[in-house]
Formats: sequence, C-alpha cells, structure tokens
Amino acid sequence: MIAQIKAELLKIRSTRTTLGLLLGMVALILLFALLTGLLSSVSGLSTREDQRQLFSLGSLSGIFAALAGVLLVTSEYRYGTIRPTILFSPDRTRVLAAKLIAGALAGLLFGVVGEALGWAIDYLVLSGRNITFVLSGGDVALLTLAGLAGVAAWAAIGVGLGAIIRNQVGAVITLLAWGFIVDNLLFGLVPSVGRFTPTRAQDGLVGLTMKHLLAPGPSAVVLFVWVAGLAIVGFALSARRDIN
Amino acid sequence: MGAVVVAESLTKHFGSLVAVDDLSFQLEPGTITGFLGPNGAGKTTTLRMMLGLATPTSGRALVFEQPYAQLDSPALRVGAVLEATDFHPGRSGRDHLRTLSRAVGVPDSRVDEVLALVELQDAARRRVKGYSLGMRQRLGLAAALLGEPELLVLDEPANGLDPEGVRWLREFLRTFASQGRTVLISSHVLAEVAQTVDQVLIISRGQLVVESSLEQLTARVSGSVRVRAADVATLRQALADAELSCTPANDSALLVHGATSERVGEIAFAAGVPLHELVTEGTSLEEIFLELTAQAPS
Repeated sequence: MIAQIKAELLKIRSTRTTLGLLLGMVALILLFALLTGLLSSVSGLSTREDQRQLFSLGSLSGIFAALAGVLLVTSEYRYGTIRPTILFSPDRTRVLAAKLIAGALAGLLFGVVGEALGWAIDYLVLSGRNITFVLSGGDVALLTLAGLAGVAAWAAIGVGLGAIIRNQVGAVITLLAWGFIVDNLLFGLVPSVGRFTPTRAQDGLVGLTMKHLLAPGPSAVVLFVWVAGLAIVGFALSARRDIN
Repeated sequence: MGAVVVAESLTKHFGSLVAVDDLSFQLEPGTITGFLGPNGAGKTTTLRMMLGLATPTSGRALVFEQPYAQLDSPALRVGAVLEATDFHPGRSGRDHLRTLSRAVGVPDSRVDEVLALVELQDAARRRVKGYSLGMRQRLGLAAALLGEPELLVLDEPANGLDPEGVRWLREFLRTFASQGRTVLISSHVLAEVAQTVDQVLIISRGQLVVESSLEQLTARVSGSVRVRAADVATLRQALADAELSCTPANDSALLVHGATSERVGEIAFAAGVPLHELVTEGTSLEEIFLELTAQAPS
C-alpha cells in the first residue's frame, strides 16, 4: 500500500499539471484576497464574522485541490496509463485507496500554500487599513486547521468523483458546476438542504456563522460523509468496470 | 511445468455482440505464439480478459495457474503492452517507468537497465510528448520488461514500426524466448509475425479457427509448387510414386499440387533429379489466413 501511495505521489509530481493548478490557485487567491480586502468598506471588515469570511478565502484552494484529485484519476483514463497501472497493481481497490490518500496529501499542500498566501495578504491589508484584528486564537485555529482538513477532503472528493466519472472533461465540468453553481443555488433556494453540500459544509467547518450553516462538528461529519460516499461508489464501480 | 496460459471457454458479450465466443487455448513455456485475426476479431478483448482488465461473461483465463489479478506481484511474472500510446505526454519516459516500478518495489537501477535495453537512455528524461511512435513502442516494451517477466504479451507491437524497428523487435523476441520464456504476440497481419512465431492461434469473430504450429499451417498451404528440371520425366515418375499429382506447366516445368516446396525438393533429391527452379505458387500463407478468417461462421 505504501509503495502504491509512493507511485501515486510520483504521478502527481512528475507532470506539470499539479504545478499549473497550484499557480492557478495562487493567482485566484491573490485576486480574491486583494479585491475583498481592498474594496470592502472598513465597517464591512470589522466584525469577527467579516474577518472570518475574509480569512476563509484561503479555502478557494479546495476547488483546485479537487481538480487535482479529479485529474489524478481521469488523466489515467485519458492517456491510457490506467492499463499499465492496473497491470502492475491489479487490486483496483488498493489503487483507488492509494489515490485517495495521495490526493489528500496533495490537497494538504494546496491548503498550506493557499492558507499561507490568503493570511499573509489579508493580514497586510487589514493592518495597512488600520483595521483591528478581532479574531480569537480559537477562530484562527479553526480557520487554518479545519481549513486544511477541508481542502484535503476536497481533494479526496475529486478523486472519488474521478473514479465515478472517468471521462476527464465530464468530471471537471461536473466538479465546477457542482462547486460553483449547484451548491450555491441549493443554499440560496433551499438552505435547509443546501447546508449539507460540501461547499457549505466546509464553510461551517472553518467556523463561519452565516445563517443556516451547520456548526463545525456537524460540518466535519457532513464533509466526511461526502468523501466516504463518493469513495465507496468509486470503489464499487472501479472493481466492476472493465478497462478498455 | 504446466501451461503458462490456459484459456477455458473464454466468452465476452458486449450487449448483444459476442466479442469472444467460447475460446480455449494453452500456451506452453518457451514458445512464441502468434495470436492472429482480422481487426475486430476479439484479440484485444481476449488479452484484456487474460490480464484481468476485463471480466469474462463466462469461462476463465489462468496465467501461471491463477487468474492474473490473483497472482502475487503479477508484473514480476507477466509483462504486457496493450497500447503503444499509454503514456502521459507531459511525463518523461523514465518517470513513466518509475511510477510503475515504485508500485511493485522494483529499484530505479532496473528502470535504467530496461531503458538501456530498448535503447532509450538518451531520451529517458525528455517528456514523452516528443517521442516518435517507435520510441513509444519501445518505452511500452521497457515497462513490460521492468519486472523481468517469464511471459510477455504484446498487442499489435509492430503497428507503426519502421522495417528496422520490426527487425529489432523480432531479434529481441527470439532472444527472449530462447531463454525459455514465453511470448504471446497479436497481429492482424500474418506476415508480420510469420518469421517470429512457433505456433499460431487464429481467431475470427471471436472464435478459434486454427491452433497449430507454423509448420502445420504452412503445410496446409493448398497451392502448388512449380518445379523446373532437365529430366522432367523422371521427376514426374518420382512424384507419382510419392502419390503427388502434378500437371505440366510447360516443356521443362511441372506444377505439383498439395505439397510444400520442401517435400518436392526432397523427392527430387531422392530421385537424383537436379532442379533448376523450385517455387511455391498460388495460395500463400497470407491467403490461407484470409481464407480461414473469412470462412468462419457468423
């Protein structure tokens, strides 16, 4: 199992795809952090919830980590490397488990880079604009640590999704539509259901207190159920489906 | 030692299409077998089932007496190349091999060894994107050889190879099999493998139509042998004694039916008749192949 995880980590490292996604994430976080930090009014950045929202921007990394997870599976089908992969490791459950773990580890990296960048910029913006930093130590711990766990979970969600939808374009579109559109619509229209979506569960996980959001504990459970649910369906399908 | 591969009534349906139909065969150690059939005959599907990538609708395939997926570290016993292009274009050839070798605990030194074996060491650190088709074929072969396998399975390995590449592959496979190891090589062109293989499995529309040694298949060549000699009369008598029918082609030549050129040559030698010409005419091996694969029931 360790050997398979090492192989999967090498797959992540040995192409430029991961680096591209990391750079994309950095660019997007820079943009969002600067826009929110500079364009919001001072009064809009002063309360604890305002600042929690500001500092949870690092969690944009979640969607990039999920993309990396999707690609870890679907690029194998796109380029046919799934054939040698499975010939060398015919235990498909083990291969997918290794991808989930390697993906989550890569997700942690995305999380660390994203959080560090988001915190650095926003802290500078707040002090530059003479806004008092009002977050407690608990807030900070939750935002960073739970934020990291959330990004890792997103990467695993991506791997699970890729194992279900093996077509790369299909999986990427599904992920983006889901993360950016479906979850937001659902939360806007039917918040009692929408708060159970992974995007909102992550918001709850890092301690945001927007109306209808779940508390961090239940949010963690919801996020875990998403990861486990997709992984279980992925395991079942990958064990059964033929590889062409 | 038992058979290296045993296929027992292997069958695969895709919806209403029967891709492989009750296919049974065995591969003995140390042999090179050509797995032949037109495109779409079910060769690749058979190989996929053999290698645990696809599940048979019924029947089973055993490799070293077990289903492939249940072998301990199958990559250390079986090397296979199913597609020549199974690489991430942005990954270097060497890294491609390392992603595979890591999974089975093969050291990086072996990676460099197989790269040298297929003569790719100079391109090893370049991204596969820039490789020619021949280089990709060799990289695929290098991957299959990582685990020093006893059985090598190659699906259409000569596709897209230039004549030099084909010769290189032929030499390589001969050396490989001469070490007592086993090769299964599929092709839709008999001529491509005729110089390499010991025996052939020919399938058509998912069914086995011929399982024989290459010699036996050659003997089935039903064409005639054109033979020219100074002493046609004596030769004619000798052929008649050997119960071969022949017809005169012209004053100094005969057409011998239903015999191989080897046989006719031996008869002439035994009769002491010097030959001026000895050629196989009519149905070639390739025509036999086409005939066999076209006649199969639908």
